[in-house]
Amino acid sequence: MVKYDVVVVGAGNAGLIAALETAKAGKKTLLIEQHNLPGGCATSFSRGRFEFDPSLHELCGVGTAENPGNVRLLLDSLGVNVEWCTVPDCFRVITKYSDGGAMDVTMPSGVQPFIDKMEEYVPGSRSSMEDFFELLTEIDEGIAFLSSGEEASNKELFTRFGNVLRVGSHNCKDVFNALGIPQRAQDILSTYWSYLGVDMTHLGFLHYACMVHGYIKDGAAMPAHTSHAISVAATERLRELGGDIWFNCRATEFVFNGDKCCGVKTTMGDIECDMVLANINPDIIYGKMVPKEIIPEREKKLSAARNKNYGARMFTVHMGLNKTAEQLGIKDYSIFLPGTSVSEQEYKNVLAGEKTNEYGIFLCYNVVKPDYSPEGTCECSITTFMAAEDWNDVAPAEYAAKKTAMAKKLIAVLKRKAGIDIAPYIEEIAISSPLTFARYLNAPEGSVYGYETTDWDGLMARMMSVGKDYPIKGLKPIGTSGPRGDGYSSAYYCGQMIAQMALKEMEQGGNN
Amino acid sequence: MALKVKVGKIGLVDALKFKNLPATRDKVIEAAPAKEITADFPINNNAKKLHPDCQKMVITKIRDHGKAEAKTFFLKRADGEKAAYFRAGQYLSIALNIKGSEITRPYSISCSPSFTAEGMYTITVKKNQGGFAADYILKNWKEGTEVTVSEPLGSFFYEPLRDAKNVVALAGGSGITPFLSMAYAIRDGIEDFCLTVLFGSRTKDSILLGKELANVAAAANGRVKIVNVLSEEEADGFEHGFITADLIKKYAPDGEYSVFICGPEAMYRFLVPEIAKLGLEAKYVRRELLGVTKDVSGCEGYPPKTKTKKFALTVRQGENIYETTAKASEPLLVAIERAGIAAPSRCRSGECGWCRSKLVSGEVFTPAENEGRRYADKQNGYIHPCCAFPVSDIVIEVPGTYMK
Ligand SMILES: Cc1cc2nc3c(=O)[nH]c(=O)nc-3n(C[C@H](O)[C@H](O)[C@H](O)COP(=O)(O)OP(=O)(O)OC[C@H]3O[C@@H](n4cnc5c(N)ncnc54)[C@H](O)[C@@H]3O)c2cc1C
Ligand code: FES
Repeated sequence: MVKYDVVVVGAGNAGLIAALETAKAGKKTLLIEQHNLPGGCATSFSRGRFEFDPSLHELCGVGTAENPGNVRLLLDSLGVNVEWCTVPDCFRVITKYSDGGAMDVTMPSGVQPFIDKMEEYVPGSRSSMEDFFELLTEIDEGIAFLSSGEEASNKELFTRFGNVLRVGSHNCKDVFNALGIPQRAQDILSTYWSYLGVDMTHLGFLHYACMVHGYIKDGAAMPAHTSHAISVAATERLRELGGDIWFNCRATEFVFNGDKCCGVKTTMGDIECDMVLANINPDIIYGKMVPKEIIPEREKKLSAARNKNYGARMFTVHMGLNKTAEQLGIKDYSIFLPGTSVSEQEYKNVLAGEKTNEYGIFLCYNVVKPDYSPEGTCECSITTFMAAEDWNDVAPAEYAAKKTAMAKKLIAVLKRKAGIDIAPYIEEIAISSPLTFARYLNAPEGSVYGYETTDWDGLMARMMSVGKDYPIKGLKPIGTSGPRGDGYSSAYYCGQMIAQMALKEMEQGGNN
Repeated sequence: MALKVKVGKIGLVDALKFKNLPATRDKVIEAAPAKEITADFPINNNAKKLHPDCQKMVITKIRDHGKAEAKTFFLKRADGEKAAYFRAGQYLSIALNIKGSEITRPYSISCSPSFTAEGMYTITVKKNQGGFAADYILKNWKEGTEVTVSEPLGSFFYEPLRDAKNVVALAGGSGITPFLSMAYAIRDGIEDFCLTVLFGSRTKDSILLGKELANVAAAANGRVKIVNVLSEEEADGFEHGFITADLIKKYAPDGEYSVFICGPEAMYRFLVPEIAKLGLEAKYVRRELLGVTKDVSGCEGYPPKTKTKKFALTVRQGENIYETTAKASEPLLVAIERAGIAAPSRCRSGECGWCRSKLVSGEVFTPAENEGRRYADKQNGYIHPCCAFPVSDIVIEVPGTYMK
């Protein structure tokens, strides 16, 4: 039988980084992926003369070569080279303020420009916004300290990171209020909620802070040649480090010796190993891939407590247009088009189904990189969120028409709200629904956010429970269901962190 | 420290709450029942039904098209389930084992999508179509023969958000099959557009599926029109010659229309300059897969004095390593298949990327018209073996396949 030290199942963002980490540590590593491409969400597909990115809107924490953010540092440390483009603005958002007034604001990157612009839109917001960013900086430092493993007395912690400790258990809305941020500025700040898939009253402030600071301070970035370029850079580096990769290889079962996982059964044969890192949702691992008797009580309870709350599902229309962004009057990279800026209401409307859902995020990639698509064209997408129920019992014969109708609606929303008419210029179009994601990722219900990072199961609570969740020997789930939640950067961090834990465990276990 | 943020009344209580986040979480977990974990999701099940890894089919009926030198095969799911639904115009990749070669061939589905409810598809195979495989199928497939097919594939279908409401189809030979399926879909109310088919055949007698086309046109409420164009015979009620820009203009409706093309390589090459004369926007011209040229040495940029050579080929697939040889005149995929290795492939035209493989060492030539690789793949030595011709010794790593 083939034998490896580590088998990483699934070449998603978390799997790629985890495999690099173990290979770098000298472990004989095999990465298997059920698809014929790496990346999971982080991939691309071609239609005609266009190459589309199925998931990435923007990545925070990249920064510049001179002033690198955490994501760049992480990729650099593993030797993964990617060509990045900087996203010019944070976002434009067209919706209604919570007081019913019309909102159409464009927020720039950079802390000072962001504060200045906010003051322009919401006079009197300046001092609270300055406090807001000061707090974000302290949170960055605090979290870096807490995850560094350095020891500190409670008192020391309290003097250095008092604000972090005091806001740490609270949701965004409460902290906004405590900072005295005017309501309209709060409305604008809540624009990012959908990137985390949790509304502002259920989203932990620290979680929000980590992401938003990354976007505003370092500016967001996009790979110059779709997410596939990141994933391929990772696989090629893995080969350099001596790792092997099997594509179109599906893990079907994990093999146990007593209570320790010791191998993987796959569609390309059985593999023996000391450690499995599985880029798979734990409900699928426990529900389908391991013997029932090895599942600990607490894991069953954890799953039951989460109650299959996989968060929002995605629906995206990808379009290659036969006019340039300029010709179509498109100036912004990202335009958020929610029905309301009240995130709790908006999230409810989304989950209540297609009738009430009018959420949309419009992107035009050529604004970031003018030659992203061939000359004379541009590439755009519109994304919305869906409830699982919307797609549960769609009959195969109705599926295409349902996708088309939803896409049509989103294109109309763009025209109505932003005055951008793209319908006559569609040269290529591809529509991905939750079924599409279920097909390619095999994630539960086609979700891409793992479990909702809400209330009791928020980012901080998960981070502080690392080691308690998923205690099975030799088998560790990685990915968005893990401690860091969803998003590319989170999946990277998770992959690295869990791989490092695995390496430690292997050392202690005397396996080498 | 200037900034002091307080959310609750007492800062220390808040700090304690923070410290207790994991304990609070534990309480919620502890309070939940230790239920058995299940992983059965309607959306995932639906996705599997629409996109099965492969489908085992049995041939239940064969229709011989006589002088048109073709047969239509009726395939039915062996497990009694519905066949995966398709968009009229899509194709199936069919797995075949011929004399030790593990090959696939794409065939357009020629029936209405409504057939899937009965677990059925039809494909129509014309003589000499792929040479090797077509002849094998025509000779060997009998009622009861078991066949493994893929899920329905390809993007050659009517897309209401992109295409004009009127479609002028240009077909030659077996290229009529996707249009017959579209015509049925229109008749059955599954697709909503108007289809005018200009169909090139040699003689009246050799029109493939002529009767079926006439019948469906008669039953489609005027939304399907068939114009037969005969190259070797003049007859009343038929156009004579080749499909040209003038002929397209003669039958094209007023206003916007899309042109869909499906036919043999020679016809496609003839049509390219004709279509250019129509001055249509690129989005209104769509063609089905091209396949790969039979004479790669005629391609621009092909290295001289290479085409008769033979190279050593090493194929890695999972833990297996195979040593074989590859002719310069054939795509690598063919050499792999000849060696009896089941490697993934679908479109065999360079477009779908399903055969994507890592070129570990060596050099290949890919004809420009088959260049369908992703940007990063081109940069990093990934190739589509279905249209990559070896020009040196090769070591390649191929993915597994689910067509078993
Ligand atoms: C439309 C859309 C927009 C998004 N926008 C953004 C954005 O702008 N910014 C951002 O940061 N994030 C965004 N996200 C979210 C982000 O893409 C995901 O959260 C992240 O990529 C998930 O990574 P992962 O490693 O957890 O999982 P996945 O990407 O799901 O990867 C898991 C991998 O494992 C493979 N696999 C599963 N089971 C098996 C098995 N049994 N055997 C072998 N292989 C298996 C799968 O095929 C897959 O490749 C977006 C997502 C979508 C869909
Ligand atoms: S089989 Fe489609 S690209 Fe090779």
